[in-house]
Amino acid sequence: MKRVRISQQEIVFAVFAALFLSFSIFLNGFLSADNMLTLLQNVAVLGILGLGMAIVVIGRGIDLSLIAALAVPGGLVLQMVQNGHSLPASLVAAGLLAIAVGLVNGWLIAYAEVPPLFATLASGLFVAGLGQAALFQLDVVQWSDGMAGFERLGQGSILGIPTSIVMFAIACVVVFVLLRKTRWGAYIYAIGDNPFAARVTGIPSRPIIVLQYVVAALIGCFAGLVMAASVNSMPTRIFNSTLIYDVILVVVLGGIGLSGGRGGVVNVIIGTLLIGTMLNGMTILNIPYAGQNLIKGLVLLVAVITDTFLNPRNEETAQQGDI
Amino acid sequence: MNDLVLSLSKATKLYAGVPAIDGVDFDLRRGEIHALVGENGAGKSTLTKVMAGVVTLTSGGMTVDGVDVTPKTPLEARNLGIAMVFQENSLVPTMTVAQNLFLGQEKFYNRLRGIYIAAQQFLQSLNFDVTPTATVGGLGAAKKQMVEIARAVLHKAKVIIFDEPTATLTPEEKKYFFDLVKDLKRRGVSIIFISHALEEALLLADRITVLRDGKHVVTDDAARFDRARIVQAMVGRDLSNTLYGARKATVRPSGKRVLTVQNLKMAPMVKNNSLSVFAGQITGVFGLVGAGRTETFKIVAGVMKRDFFHGGEVILDDKPVRYRVPAPAVQAGIAYVTEDRKVEGFFETASIARNIYLGLLAKFPRGRAWLSRRESTSTGKSWIERLKVRAIGDEAKVVELSGGNQQKVVIAKSLIQDPELIIFDEPTRGVDVGAIVEIHELINSLADKGKAVVVISSYLPEIMALSDRILVCRQGKVVEEFSALEATEEAIMYAAIH
Repeated sequence: MKRVRISQQEIVFAVFAALFLSFSIFLNGFLSADNMLTLLQNVAVLGILGLGMAIVVIGRGIDLSLIAALAVPGGLVLQMVQNGHSLPASLVAAGLLAIAVGLVNGWLIAYAEVPPLFATLASGLFVAGLGQAALFQLDVVQWSDGMAGFERLGQGSILGIPTSIVMFAIACVVVFVLLRKTRWGAYIYAIGDNPFAARVTGIPSRPIIVLQYVVAALIGCFAGLVMAASVNSMPTRIFNSTLIYDVILVVVLGGIGLSGGRGGVVNVIIGTLLIGTMLNGMTILNIPYAGQNLIKGLVLLVAVITDTFLNPRNEETAQQGDI
Repeated sequence: MNDLVLSLSKATKLYAGVPAIDGVDFDLRRGEIHALVGENGAGKSTLTKVMAGVVTLTSGGMTVDGVDVTPKTPLEARNLGIAMVFQENSLVPTMTVAQNLFLGQEKFYNRLRGIYIAAQQFLQSLNFDVTPTATVGGLGAAKKQMVEIARAVLHKAKVIIFDEPTATLTPEEKKYFFDLVKDLKRRGVSIIFISHALEEALLLADRITVLRDGKHVVTDDAARFDRARIVQAMVGRDLSNTLYGARKATVRPSGKRVLTVQNLKMAPMVKNNSLSVFAGQITGVFGLVGAGRTETFKIVAGVMKRDFFHGGEVILDDKPVRYRVPAPAVQAGIAYVTEDRKVEGFFETASIARNIYLGLLAKFPRGRAWLSRRESTSTGKSWIERLKVRAIGDEAKVVELSGGNQQKVVIAKSLIQDPELIIFDEPTRGVDVGAIVEIHELINSLADKGKAVVVISSYLPEIMALSDRILVCRQGKVVEEFSALEATEEAIMYAAIH
């Protein structure tokens, strides 16, 4: 079991290395400083979202409302500042909105026992709709003067490292500590490994599931702020893009089994690197959007199939024969 | 009449090296009703599953109509004319009766009207009062069984196997079922039925076979059996020969009353159940499958969903309690060691130490917001030593261990929570021989330390060896109580069988 899992990580990392190397050699402009910066910036937001998704997937769930949690609270900050509210107040409002989204998701899944796929699909649609119908005046919420200084969250560099990458790194550390160093993290792994055993052991499963979705929504909100800061606006229509599939791609490809209880921050980093490089290379190669989707779809399919082979859900396969 | 339709010789099936059936000879005559009786775990289900192609034999042979065959899949068995009607029936609830009858035999273009007419004619020819257009999910248990039987007949079954056919039926439905079976017999179909209800076996069967511990004990004409002889055959073990040691010579006295259950109800498994559990002794709970033992204690420990809680009281240390989830029950000092460790026992991707540590975290979260690798390793080590878990290092994954060692990890995960009331549900199921003795020693030592211990088991020798007090459950409630000194296997079995 252990060996198989390590080799999956290794395979993905090897594919990333091979891809990176061949792009560097054969693709003009791939290795240029400018392109590397774009690559890393794109990757940063994707990676942060991947961290949020990873927490939920490790707990045997999935969060399709993550993009809504990125677009709507992020957009809300920009909109509120535009409307003359102060930046801190707007940030608090955005945070509260994200927490509310997470609480609703968690309550639906843990207490009302709605499957996470449907609960988060519905809540994501609702929140995105709410944003477009009631909160934002334009599809793209513009930067305003009140936001001055905030763009440093996504632009420039700290000690020579692009800021968005630093933000990704900070998010990595926070999530790593949560998952591996705290009791809550141990609970999340336990619930993902065997939710029934977790219950019987006396782990407060339902509050922990709610916590997962709240943390995921907050991470989504953080990703949104980093994204808005790096492009000086919030294109709220991003909810309609295929970004959520890229996030799932990152998590599954990185080796976090959809059956839960496996993987961690390292897997998100590896997955992000591979997907980031792939997307960037395809853009430089001028592969049209449709072609890119085709390739992404294939890669996701292969990754999901490999996942079911390497990490089968055990309660079905391992049951003992009735005597 | 001595025309054999099916026979098994020296049939053996091993599960992970442990025999479920061991060298069983069995034969079935054409047009006879053959009852199969035995305790839980005697190997009745395995034996019939072999015939139905659900389970493949490890060794031994099978003949159908004198030809050597071994069905490897249910489909092959069906083509041989062997049909099995399972306890959990295998009909599709959202489809109609007719659709279920013809399931798997549809033509490419499936005209509903056509199959309704065919089904109507067929059901009438059997004298079955079932509407072909009715949805199966809305039918009662008896009608569902009729559909299953009709399907078996439609598939030209020569042998129909029933697993506990009457368990879910009302008395009138039972009577109707008996008539059906007799009618099938007249058509030359051979019937095997597994039953815990001895009266039914005696009433209905032509011959009865008794199995015990996976071995064939006796087969004889039903007329030559009575209740006493069957019970004797079911339990007549040579106790000196088992692992469980001799009977107790002394019993522990009852300490403080820890748990009282009053008129607990949960349809359909628990009916007005009342019992008490005392500190400092082992309360053995015996009963056949479906007696509501597990359900009662799962309600006590909050493991069973509260939605199905229909009434009654659970009193823990003089305080009425009602747990919706296990977490508060764990906090109150109740530990439930599950009968199904793979499903709700351990965390398979986690190490032994982590499994045990999670038990500690769940019970005593205070001051443990941050994980401590040192505490995890040291508690893991000490429990591995205490329970003699045999593994390569305490970082070994639980899924890689043998059944007995897995069980020890599950027990350690509960014991680290320092419970006052420990419920062991089938503590030695699927556990290797050496570990059984060690687990029994452990259970005894807990009672010696003054804990209230409950052992639920459907294996009589285990109950006899461990218990100070024995409660016998039947059909959802405790029907009799014995002191271990006065109990005999026969008396307990008598009480447990309806």
